[in-house]
Amino acid sequence: MEEILRKKAKELLESGEVKVVIGYGWNRQRTKTTPVFITDAAEADRLVWNPLCVNNLSVYLTRKFKDIQALGKPAIVAKGCDIKNIVVLITEAQFKRDDVYIIGMTCEGTVYRQELWKGELKPEIMPTKCHNCDVRNPHLADFVVGEKSSFTPPETPTGMVFDKIKAIDAKDQAGKWAFWINEFSRCIKCYACRQVCSLCYCERCITEKNMPQWIETSAHPRGNLSWNLTRAMHLVGRCTFCGECERACPVNIPLNLVNQKMIQVVKDAFDFRSGYDEKTHPPMIVFSPDDKDNFIK
Amino acid sequence: MADRILKKEDLGRLIASVNAKGGQFIAPALDARQVVFKPVTKAEEVVTDYIVARNSYKELVFPQTEVVADFTIGKHGVDLKGRDVAPQETIVFGARPCEAVSLSSLRAIFTWDYIDEFYTKREDALVVITVACTKADDVCFCTTVELSPETKTGSDIYLKETESGDYIVEAVTDKGRAFIEKHASAFSEGSAKAKALFIPEKIGTIDLKKISARLKDKSHYDDQVWGRLTRKCIGCGACTFVCPTCHCFDITDEGTAFAGERRKNWDACQFDTFTLHASGHNPRHYQYQRWRNRFMCKFNYYPEKFASKGCVGCGRCIRVCPVRLDITEVMEEFSK
Ligand code: SF4
Ligand code: SF4
Ligand code: SF4
Ligand code: SF4
Ligand code: SF4
Repeated sequence: MEEILRKKAKELLESGEVKVVIGYGWNRQRTKTTPVFITDAAEADRLVWNPLCVNNLSVYLTRKFKDIQALGKPAIVAKGCDIKNIVVLITEAQFKRDDVYIIGMTCEGTVYRQELWKGELKPEIMPTKCHNCDVRNPHLADFVVGEKSSFTPPETPTGMVFDKIKAIDAKDQAGKWAFWINEFSRCIKCYACRQVCSLCYCERCITEKNMPQWIETSAHPRGNLSWNLTRAMHLVGRCTFCGECERACPVNIPLNLVNQKMIQVVKDAFDFRSGYDEKTHPPMIVFSPDDKDNFIK
Repeated sequence: MADRILKKEDLGRLIASVNAKGGQFIAPALDARQVVFKPVTKAEEVVTDYIVARNSYKELVFPQTEVVADFTIGKHGVDLKGRDVAPQETIVFGARPCEAVSLSSLRAIFTWDYIDEFYTKREDALVVITVACTKADDVCFCTTVELSPETKTGSDIYLKETESGDYIVEAVTDKGRAFIEKHASAFSEGSAKAKALFIPEKIGTIDLKKISARLKDKSHYDDQVWGRLTRKCIGCGACTFVCPTCHCFDITDEGTAFAGERRKNWDACQFDTFTLHASGHNPRHYQYQRWRNRFMCKFNYYPEKFASKGCVGCGRCIRVCPVRLDITEVMEEFSK
């Protein structure tokens, strides 16, 4: 797959169809992958593809990265789950479908964290999203690299995240509160969760608005709770469960529980799943006269 | 001559002694599946098999958030009352030699043009007990910044593990000696064989002198190299928040329109609002320029201004970075 990927990247850069290929490369020790930006066809061989390619590179397509936008039209190496975020960005008018060339990678799963890699992709080191993945064959791409995957996700979603959500749902109000207060108490307000998320593309995040200060920047329980809850609310109906925020969080806050729970709520209320169709707008940004709820009428 | 020994079965006694005398005992312990510095009350909580804690213990001397003053706004103006800091004696056990060095870096900045008592008083009440490294991972690079597991600077007490899991104790400072005297019952005498220290290999392609010479000549400022190596930075504060020498903070007011607290909170040069002017202009417009600042701070400003180090090679920033930006790769580039 790597060879085909490199060849395609080379072609795209040489023809001038794209100006930069956003993909994965090795670190110095060749032990971890890291994002690379290839602008010169001669450097296309730096691209790699393997189960360590965990990052959702779609973040680099957002307006937070003006220097990358300044390079010109990008091609992006993307797994199905990453493409979901690209889809959301398109539905939210961040760019048009034609503004990006998607090199879709068929995928048999990645590791949850690169540190877990011992040379073999075992189910226990894969994130919940991979065990339930229905986009191993990229659903929106200009070019697909890799053999078709025959994986079919289980009928009822399985995995650690779903089990934990069930356990939390079973708690009473006080128990839920205690659980989350304890988890959020570790937050250090580094905002890695926000920065790594391609759907957190606001140039001025509400937490940076300080006249008045909507969200206290202090990492005390009140500030942490308001930050984490506000961020969650801003992702409702948009988040694709890519898991980047949880992966980036340096203090291991189980943000995937929040993400997946929101997805379930939106699914139940609107029968909508974000990231699948670039032509359907997410429920939070549309008004429909035949909305089944009538509170807004 | 007999060595002073801290037996592993006496660690609990030491913790109890510290707690009984009103001090807090901080050690590497498990929290949410990772090893971090946190208060412990029992020896069983202390993790001994770790490389470095995920967080830096700087939060003990420079808390993530702290109230520095209280204010009320009345008819006649603002009434501001500063807070005093009366720190508790704090013992950090299991620091690594690299991060022990970082205290002098923090002290340098917090006593530079103004004595910040919130820092100095806390540091005065801090006893650093270092445990020398017997293993490392592939991002430890202390030897590349001229330190090593044998470095004792910054440690009050320096421990070496023995084959049987005890510690050979060496008091480095007066503070360390006083600590041992105060808790004498936890220590014993004997002789033991220390485990071999693990000294990470120096990265041969890195030359600190060349780095600082190249950074001094500001013509590199708009060099393509910054974009090439660091454009992947997503601008979170993770690296700066875990870094034992990063020290930037922001002052913010919290409360109502009539009264509240003035707080000192960690800030990071990696945030886009860090240098954003009220006019809307941002001198560090792109993320890689912010990353350039982090590098400049550590390898140009620090060596220029202070005798202490800007980077101690603990590797935390590399381990924690969501995009795996490796500072040593940039060091390598600037050693050319
Ligand atoms: S969720 Fe699917 S596409 Fe994404 S990494 Fe896992 S298996 Fe691959
Ligand atoms: S999982 Fe996290 S990073 Fe991914 S889209 Fe949802 S909120 Fe953003
Ligand atoms: S990444 Fe984690 S610690 Fe950082 S702000 Fe987000 S939740 Fe808090
Ligand atoms: S810059 Fe990185 S390696 Fe250097 S002291 Fe800070 S965290 Fe450690
Ligand atoms: S270098 Fe890594 S950890 Fe630091 S701000 Fe950039 S992305 Fe975050």
